[in-house]
Amino acid sequence: MARVRKIMLADVPVLKKEAKVGEAARLLAQRGSGCVVVVEGQKPVGIITELDIVRNVISKGKPLSMPIGLIMASPVTLMEPGMKLDEALKIIDTKKFRRYPVAENGQLVGLATKRDIVNAISDNLRFHRNIQNTVLVLFVLFELFVFVFSKYLAGLPFLR
Amino acid sequence: MIRIRDIMTKDVVTIAQGSSITEASKVMASKSVSSIVVVEKSGPVAVVSESDIIAGISSKKNKVKDIMKKDFMVISPLTRFSEIEKSARNKKIKRFPVVENEKLVGLVTETDIIGATRDFTRFSQMVQEIILGIFGLATAFFLFYFSPLGASIFR
Repeated sequence: MARVRKIMLADVPVLKKEAKVGEAARLLAQRGSGCVVVVEGQKPVGIITELDIVRNVISKGKPLSMPIGLIMASPVTLMEPGMKLDEALKIIDTKKFRRYPVAENGQLVGLATKRDIVNAISDNLRFHRNIQNTVLVLFVLFELFVFVFSKYLAGLPFLR
Repeated sequence: MIRIRDIMTKDVVTIAQGSSITEASKVMASKSVSSIVVVEKSGPVAVVSESDIIAGISSKKNKVKDIMKKDFMVISPLTRFSEIEKSARNKKIKRFPVVENEKLVGLVTETDIIGATRDFTRFSQMVQEIILGIFGLATAFFLFYFSPLGASIFR
């Protein structure tokens, strides 16, 4: 089973919590990542998504100059790069978020999304299913062969 | 087989082209949705997502018609899920308005697609396990047939 490291987005947009909402919006528009991770040094302390900005700033007519620290979601649920995708899915099912910063020893290394995790698991299972089915078909063909030709095979000298 | 009508969101939030971005964001916030469909004569003409609003705000636009995305894929309630799964992944399309008789009847969002992918995976695993079970029984029969005991019964 693959691990979070393999499916995470390594190049995550980050901002300090003193940054303005306008900056975050510009970064989001440029990068299309859907969220910005708020960091202190290299440590992820919060997350701010497009939806947070729309719901808490734009729809309420608040100024874009307010700091993102006021509207960010914090504390944030983290994942580890060595985590198996099954474990990651368990976290997703309990926390119900869509995006999770990935941190190793407290340092931000990537971003994992629910979509990528679910897709990776589904691909993985499909791949294994295909292998299993191929082996099954070969086996069944072999069995059929032995079944049909068992009479003649029994006469072969090396089977005596 | 999963059809679109089984996974789509039926209460679609809509808005007119002439509305302002602020209005659109208010609608999004009050209905707790992340995408709204721009309609004209009950047919969809564009989709507006939270990313479009963010992009619009950062480039100082005011009207919904300046930020809406017109290149969307329209599907019918009878479309198969597997058909849109590919476009959703490869073309990174996140929203599919569902149209029947030129009327907007639903919307398939990223959340719906993820949920359906999980259900579909679970379903395929179940089918796989049934196949494995049948195969196991067949193998058991096969081994029995060729065993001395089986041979004395069958032949």
